[in-house]
Amino acid sequence: MAPTDGRLPALWSLGIAAGFALQRSRFCFASAFRDLFLFGSARIMKAILLGLGVASAGFAVIMRGAVPFAENGALPPEAHILPVGVTTIIGGLLFGYGMVLSGGCVSGSLYRAAEGYVGSWVALAGAVVGLGLLSQTWNWWWAVAVSAEPTIWLPGVPGLGYAGAIALTLAALVGAYVFFVWWEARAGLGSAETAQPRAVAHTFRDQLTVTWRAVFVRGWPALVGGAALGGIATLMYVVHMPWGVTGELMRWANASMTALGAPPPEALGLADIGGCAARADETGIFTHTFAVTVGLLPGAAIGALLAKEFKLRFPRSARRYLQSLVGGLFMGYGSGLAIGCTIGAFFSSIASLGLSGWLFGLALAGGAYLGVRTIQRIP
Amino acid sequence: MKLDVRGEVCPYPMLKAVEAMQKLKGREEVVVITDHAPCLETIPPQARRFGYAYSVRETGSPEWTITLSPQGPGR
Repeated sequence: MAPTDGRLPALWSLGIAAGFALQRSRFCFASAFRDLFLFGSARIMKAILLGLGVASAGFAVIMRGAVPFAENGALPPEAHILPVGVTTIIGGLLFGYGMVLSGGCVSGSLYRAAEGYVGSWVALAGAVVGLGLLSQTWNWWWAVAVSAEPTIWLPGVPGLGYAGAIALTLAALVGAYVFFVWWEARAGLGSAETAQPRAVAHTFRDQLTVTWRAVFVRGWPALVGGAALGGIATLMYVVHMPWGVTGELMRWANASMTALGAPPPEALGLADIGGCAARADETGIFTHTFAVTVGLLPGAAIGALLAKEFKLRFPRSARRYLQSLVGGLFMGYGSGLAIGCTIGAFFSSIASLGLSGWLFGLALAGGAYLGVRTIQRIP
Repeated sequence: MKLDVRGEVCPYPMLKAVEAMQKLKGREEVVVITDHAPCLETIPPQARRFGYAYSVRETGSPEWTITLSPQGPGR
């Protein structure tokens, strides 16, 4: 990839937009899974489901342009159609546990890092180390499990096609939404009344101020953030590839180990799987994964500065630093094994109409449940 | 009771606020000081469950004071 690549400015803009949307809506995949078990809230999970609906429809249009006849066995380029098997489950459990322990997933830690959360810097460092450890052991996993795992793309399943796959995915998303409404009602949470007395704006100037505050100062409702992220993820795929953030961190891990004289062995099979697998042919900072990963940082920083929410926040106890580090390690190893995180292996995979995203999501929930049991014991 | 949870991130501020409300059982108000914006979404919905009312004041940038005050006899 060269600095003259015309798609880079577009991907940088989308990366920045994603970081801004994440920061403004305080979108946190870790809390989406954790709060289900911690206090029965599905506020952000419902927003993720909305975003998935938007992205699934958008992805389907893009994929249909590339592969008009899904049942011929061809897979759409760049789609996150990942192996479905025991490594999906192990990766999801490790990632789900790690994100609850550290307090944020990889995308969450990236945007919080730009808001000044020092704990998130530690979590990211832990994730890079975890990805490095996976890189060193990937070929073992490939030999014992991944090489035998099928990649299942719903439109390619005989009898389903695009129409069936879309219908199935949207029905599952709506079904999950209804399930989580029941889940919240069961917890006695109901819809929280968050209505605050609103000032009535009369003049044009007042109206502008209210609008400005709604976008740049007050947090967005989670559902708005979810829909925005679904749209941004779709546009990234229009430009080149679905959104993913761990592939870039994997490149850093591999480059660091190579610089230290312990390069990882050449990863078997990974190049053919795609997803968030590190692209060995891409180096340097003028790459697409760099744009949609590091682009989150300025986007989130702009959001935080405009809302006056930027602040260097140091955890007060050593325990929290350790939680961030260990959680990051778990996340790194898990996302390496599952070839993606909450973005690449969950969000982008479900939107790619792949089966792996659903299984990874279930495993994330299992890991988050175990994580909740752990953090409830850590004061 | 004053809870200074600056520097703490989710879910700890909310857990500590819930713990305090559970312990005090509406006998005393709980004042939570935080610099973590997501708390503005997570703590208020908990107040009603424990018979508390809430009010949020911006007391710095970024810093908020969430006052949880007893709302008569709990549910």
